[in-house]
Amino acid sequence: MKIGDCVVAWSKDEELRKMGASGGLVTSLLVGALETELVDEVIALRKISEFEGVPIRTSDTDEAIRSAGSLHAAPINLTKFAVRFFEEHPDGAIALPVKPCDCRGIIEQAKRRKIDMDRIYLIGLNCGGTMDPITTMEMLEKMYEMDPKKIVEEEILKGKLIFKTEEEEKAISIDEVEEAGYGRRESCRYCGINIPMMADLACGNWGAGEDETFVEILTEKGLRLMKSAVDHGLIETAPAPEKGIKIREKTNSVMENVAKTWYEKVFVPIEDRSERMKYYMDAMEDCIDCEACKYVCPVCSCDESKCIGFYDPMDSHKISIYHLIRLLHLADSCIGCGQCTDVCPAEIPLTILHKRVADRIQAKYDYIPGIDMKTPPFFEVE
Amino acid sequence: MEEEWIPKITLFCCNWCSYAGSDDAGVGRKQQPPTTRTIRVMCSGRTDPAFVLAALLEGSDAVLFTGCHIGDCHYISGNYKAKKKFEMLKEVVDELGLEDERLQLQWISASEGSEFAAYINKVTEEIEAIGPSPLRQEWMK
Ligand SMILES: Cc1cc2nc3c(=O)[nH]c(=O)nc-3n(C[C@H](O)[C@H](O)[C@H](O)COP(=O)(O)OP(=O)(O)OC[C@H]3O[C@@H](n4cnc5c(N)ncnc54)[C@H](O)[C@@H]3O)c2cc1C
Ligand code: SF4
Ligand code: SF4
Ligand code: SF4
Ligand code: FES
Repeated sequence: MKIGDCVVAWSKDEELRKMGASGGLVTSLLVGALETELVDEVIALRKISEFEGVPIRTSDTDEAIRSAGSLHAAPINLTKFAVRFFEEHPDGAIALPVKPCDCRGIIEQAKRRKIDMDRIYLIGLNCGGTMDPITTMEMLEKMYEMDPKKIVEEEILKGKLIFKTEEEEKAISIDEVEEAGYGRRESCRYCGINIPMMADLACGNWGAGEDETFVEILTEKGLRLMKSAVDHGLIETAPAPEKGIKIREKTNSVMENVAKTWYEKVFVPIEDRSERMKYYMDAMEDCIDCEACKYVCPVCSCDESKCIGFYDPMDSHKISIYHLIRLLHLADSCIGCGQCTDVCPAEIPLTILHKRVADRIQAKYDYIPGIDMKTPPFFEVE
Repeated sequence: MEEEWIPKITLFCCNWCSYAGSDDAGVGRKQQPPTTRTIRVMCSGRTDPAFVLAALLEGSDAVLFTGCHIGDCHYISGNYKAKKKFEMLKEVVDELGLEDERLQLQWISASEGSEFAAYINKVTEEIEAIGPSPLRQEWMK
């Protein structure tokens, strides 16, 4: 094994191999990292139900094993949990599974000195998108005519979204559910980064066989993780078949094109100035100042936030300065992860507002946040 | 009686150049309209974008970043930082729908009193032509 290799791999523990999303490899790597003391803690998502997962930070391998499997309807971002770890253990090391948006958040935080890239192992997961739990439950009742409480398994296969109960199994195409307003979160539909090439490893089921995980080894750290799990007898690997590599590439490019089409559909430019102003004013009018959107944002990194410091609810400005400061501060770093829209109790489409501003600035400075260690334009002074 | 609207322009001046330039305009008795509200900062680099946004929301019809010419900043790189802040803000403010004239950047040296007065006259005319800012509240005078 070396950097740049594509392999298929799986857990040697038969039970874990079955429990895992596609071979239990990711969980085995977390366990291996703890057992070989490469890291002090790991982060994983503890499953509560198909629609709820709680991020945990643990050094207990059993706890890590219990978190195996993919939760598609738990649209969480793990960045801030990694930030907390480094606040508490500045010299510690940690490993965690990361979707592309988790990974991008972590890289942007690293640029702001909140995360030490040498001490964080990023086990990348390919990602085709996550779903909002509440709308997914509604979809199950309306479109699938299934009781969400009875769901035991959920799966995405060949463009179809499949749900299983103990008794039955139903599949509907993703296009059809998304046409009806369900399916993946809006931000995931237009997210064009599906394979986390900026992580240490890129793991997924694209191109892998039954109960196998496809892994691309991307960095020295990634290689270290794989090797220590092999040496520790936790995983088995084989070279990725040529056909698998092709399938993965092809599926990825199909997904990229779907994302582009969605992007054009969602981000229709508003040419007229006064209409633009009205659009932003109307959109933010219902804000109740809960600050949740700032709290969840994976790329916000202030200890004492300026957006809050400058804001006073008594101001009665036409647009709140809290939002204007945030629009500016996130202009170079917003990764369009959708967390802000997800948490907003006033249902303000914040991600779209942020991205409308951010995409202009990111295009102007030719900067894509979270994909490499390039200095953000704000800090790049001639 | 309805009070007549005249532009309110918030002007950020750096202590060493543009503030001295405005002083030079005064000492030289150059004619200027009473449209500016000057805020002196030690260096243009101290012009926090949050100040600019606050000025716009509090009823300014325009905000001007001013400072020493590039290369003349008394803290070496402050005006480069000001320029970056200005450029980023400009995109945001433009996306929000504010007209181009409402946010400007001008370098003015301590001896450029006439240029300073001419600039204020020019900006005032531009703002008079486009009217009050859509961000100011109707009750703001
Ligand atoms: C939301 C989502 C979408 C995915 N879409 C694709 C895809 O389109 N194509 C593809 O090839 N692969 C996709 N994957 C990756 C795939 O499902 C497997 O995770 C991957 O193949 C690794 O399998 P494994 O058996 O080795 O992982 P496991 O051993 O089962 O470990 C999975 C790890 O991921 C963590 N996890 C579960 N849900 C989440 C979540 N929502 N966010 C962050 N971490 C989580 C678990 O806590 C666990 O630690 C997706 C994964 C997720 C979470
Ligand atoms: S918006 Fe700006 S001030 Fe507010 S928390 Fe994020 S980075 Fe800090
Ligand atoms: S502003 Fe919203 S979409 Fe952008 S990074 Fe922050 S939480 Fe994600
Ligand atoms: S989450 Fe929504 S309501 Fe809360 S501060 Fe953000 S925009 Fe306002
Ligand atoms: S001191 Fe004038 S711009 Fe820095």
